[in-house]
Amino acid sequence: MARITIIGGGVIGLSIAFECRKRGHEITVVEAQRCGGQASGAAAGMLAPYSEIEEDPDDFFRLCQRSLQLFPEWQEEVKQHSEIDFEYNESGSLYCIYHEADRLSLETKQAWQQKFHVKSKLLTAEEVREKEPELSENVVAALWCPEEAHIYAPGYVAALLQACRSLGVRVVENAGEAKLENGDVVTKNERIESDEVVLAAGAWSMYWENELGCTLPIFPIRGQICAYEAPTLNHIIFTSQGYLVAKANGSVVAGASEDIADFDTNVTMHGIGRLEKWSKKVMPVLEKMEPFHKWAGLRPATQDGFPLIGRVVEKTGIILATGHYRNGILLSPITAKIVADEIDQIPQRIEIGQFNPNRFQSIQ
Amino acid sequence: MMNALTIAGKQLSSRLFLGTGRYPNPYIQNKAIEASEAEVLTFAIRRVNLSAPDEDAILQHIEKPFQYLPNTSGATSAEEAIRIARLAKASGLSDWIKIEVSQDEKMLIPDPIETLKATEILAEEGFIVLPYTSDDPAICYRLQEAGAAAVMPGGSPIGTGLGILNPYNIERITEKLTVPVIVDAGLGSAADVTQAMELGADGVLLNTAIAKARNPVMMAEAVKYAIHAGRLSYMAGRIPKKKYATASSPVQN
Repeated sequence: MARITIIGGGVIGLSIAFECRKRGHEITVVEAQRCGGQASGAAAGMLAPYSEIEEDPDDFFRLCQRSLQLFPEWQEEVKQHSEIDFEYNESGSLYCIYHEADRLSLETKQAWQQKFHVKSKLLTAEEVREKEPELSENVVAALWCPEEAHIYAPGYVAALLQACRSLGVRVVENAGEAKLENGDVVTKNERIESDEVVLAAGAWSMYWENELGCTLPIFPIRGQICAYEAPTLNHIIFTSQGYLVAKANGSVVAGASEDIADFDTNVTMHGIGRLEKWSKKVMPVLEKMEPFHKWAGLRPATQDGFPLIGRVVEKTGIILATGHYRNGILLSPITAKIVADEIDQIPQRIEIGQFNPNRFQSIQ
Repeated sequence: MMNALTIAGKQLSSRLFLGTGRYPNPYIQNKAIEASEAEVLTFAIRRVNLSAPDEDAILQHIEKPFQYLPNTSGATSAEEAIRIARLAKASGLSDWIKIEVSQDEKMLIPDPIETLKATEILAEEGFIVLPYTSDDPAICYRLQEAGAAAVMPGGSPIGTGLGILNPYNIERITEKLTVPVIVDAGLGSAADVTQAMELGADGVLLNTAIAKARNPVMMAEAVKYAIHAGRLSYMAGRIPKKKYATASSPVQN
């Protein structure tokens, strides 16, 4: 049994705490402010790697696919331990296209994804309308991925936090700035003796560069989202400009921008206005409606688009789990298992070399 | 400095044409564009929100002024490419058009017959036409005669990073054509870019090599220098290749 301190109480930190605690370790989560208060709570909760990854298969695609496959059992465990229910909907998704010229790229994607046993079907305009009568008539075709799902992120994160507490994880919120001292984590109030430290600080991870003595090219990209009270959709709807997803609470969520705005979490007229205009075109019934809720979160983006998961060479006893950008909710179970396996010295079950946090060392 | 590249009367300060797809995020995209000093940006019209280009998911992040080169990727016939090109022009984005027609989803090899047809018609309509085609000197010449403002032969299939598979052909093309030759597709690194320029290309078009590099911003800078080095080397004139050694310090008698 190891004493593990996790810095960061977002979905990644809490998932690691949950997994490691189940394996019998002694866990403390140190959160500067409030758990789930940043990107995790703001996310639309899409579990949709087949729609979002258009490029060639690589280790990142496999990481996302594995995590999606873990979700049914994982979310069930979180519900059991927390005794809190939250929405998890295996709705499937429709990637809609509006130009004939987009058909080729959908077919290309479908062809390579089939090799990874991804189920999908190219639907005609008529078939799309049958499945989703509220969509605009401009849809030319859509790729249907029945295995994709979505989750209500604020509910999921709240349940994770409760599950951690129920299992005996110590959670320290409002801890302010923490630092490292001889392998222990020191906050303004206490020194937490640690055998292992996991850094899961999301968009704030870059502040640990000097402390860890390594390059961490991670920076915030703001995502703005808005929600309507609208007739429901049966699937997640993707287009080249964004997505729509209907939640059980009666809302249709439209997302998301990718803004360069440093650490500013305000919504802007331009950002929300763009989502509104686009979403009304996709779903005409929204035309006369105003979003009732608008919000934003900061995603941890990285220089090469891949997360940083694994041990830091310069400092023994430090494991990074950060830089998940738009995929933090989706990648939470697999990240938790990779980190727990690393701590338990169990050989990794999937290839994670591409996510090695030391890959940026020599080149900056 | 090196004489500037001029296409359809427009003088360009950079010989790099940069694609806007596949970057990990908008911040890295903007930094890479800035570091590359590219003046011409290309993107797929089908991906763009044509009714409001300023609100497009990708284009909204780009700080002007750039020369836009919208492309017809995804088109499988001349007819479709022409329709897409007209949409782009009507939106006010640009009257430059990169014609990209392919019927082959796996290799994305350009279809020369359809590309030629679309080039003829769009050039006639007043578009500034830059067709993407395979590295065949005969078809490149035919595209020039059809009214292309520049011709863009591929080094290797799109996104492969295999570099220039047939340097002999690329050199024949740059020798034969009087319009600018932009080597497009397949270039994977600074070395490939330098080679293209040494073969006499007037410019290069890159996307994946920069967007998917571990450090896209640094690769953009490397490509900028590679273009410069390759162009200088081409103009300076390389030495002939010889079978046997020649001492570089002459022997004193």
